Amino acid sequence: MKIPLEVYFFAGGMRAMAHFLIKSDDPHMFGSIEAIVDTGSPTTILGAPDLKRMRVSKLNLKNLESRKDPLAYGGGEVKVKTLNQAHLRFGEYFECVIPIQIPVDEIINCTQPTILGVDFLMLNKLSLFFYPNKREAYFESSK
Amino acid sequence: MKGQELQLLKEFENDSKWFHENIDKLREENFIGKFVAIKDAKPIASDKNIDLVIKSLEENGEDPSFIFIEFVHPKGFTLLL
Repeated sequence: MKIPLEVYFFAGGMRAMAHFLIKSDDPHMFGSIEAIVDTGSPTTILGAPDLKRMRVSKLNLKNLESRKDPLAYGGGEVKVKTLNQAHLRFGEYFECVIPIQIPVDEIINCTQPTILGVDFLMLNKLSLFFYPNKREAYFESSK
Repeated sequence: MKGQELQLLKEFENDSKWFHENIDKLREENFIGKFVAIKDAKPIASDKNIDLVIKSLEENGEDPSFIFIEFVHPKGFTLLL
């Protein structure tokens, strides 16, 4: 099974980008997300602008488990909490429930996007195929 | 419900595509350094502060959760993740 991605020149480089819906019951979260697929990131992390768009506040995150170590993010280190049951839906192609990291520190003027990291690929047994010259990318399932 | 959700995602994808294809035009129109909200292939709100963009969308009856909002970086800027 192939899950098509978009390839755009974005913020200084050609990137493989994914679009999906994210849903969670607690905290309540539902919205559309554009994420950069980043095989250099071990973890999937929700971007601060996307959190704001979905009106997720620090108070909404109080029941989530804190991650022991901070993550390098947006040029600095941030404290994060783990949302264990994030439901992601990639159009008609694919859906999954995975843990994602959510920054809890207030980051002033943060423009950092959502990142789909290696954990996403591993948990879903997906491979990334990325052909920047052809502007083509997709995930392929090895299940 | 699933059909509605897919439609919301499709519209978001289309506005994302428009943004990335028209980023130079947005730079020429003085959106550099601002978050821009796109709907139906046109900017509908912008500001340096994303909170104000979201507020403006809400005041106009839009749900920001499904509106494409992106920051317009200056040409030559490289984002290292």
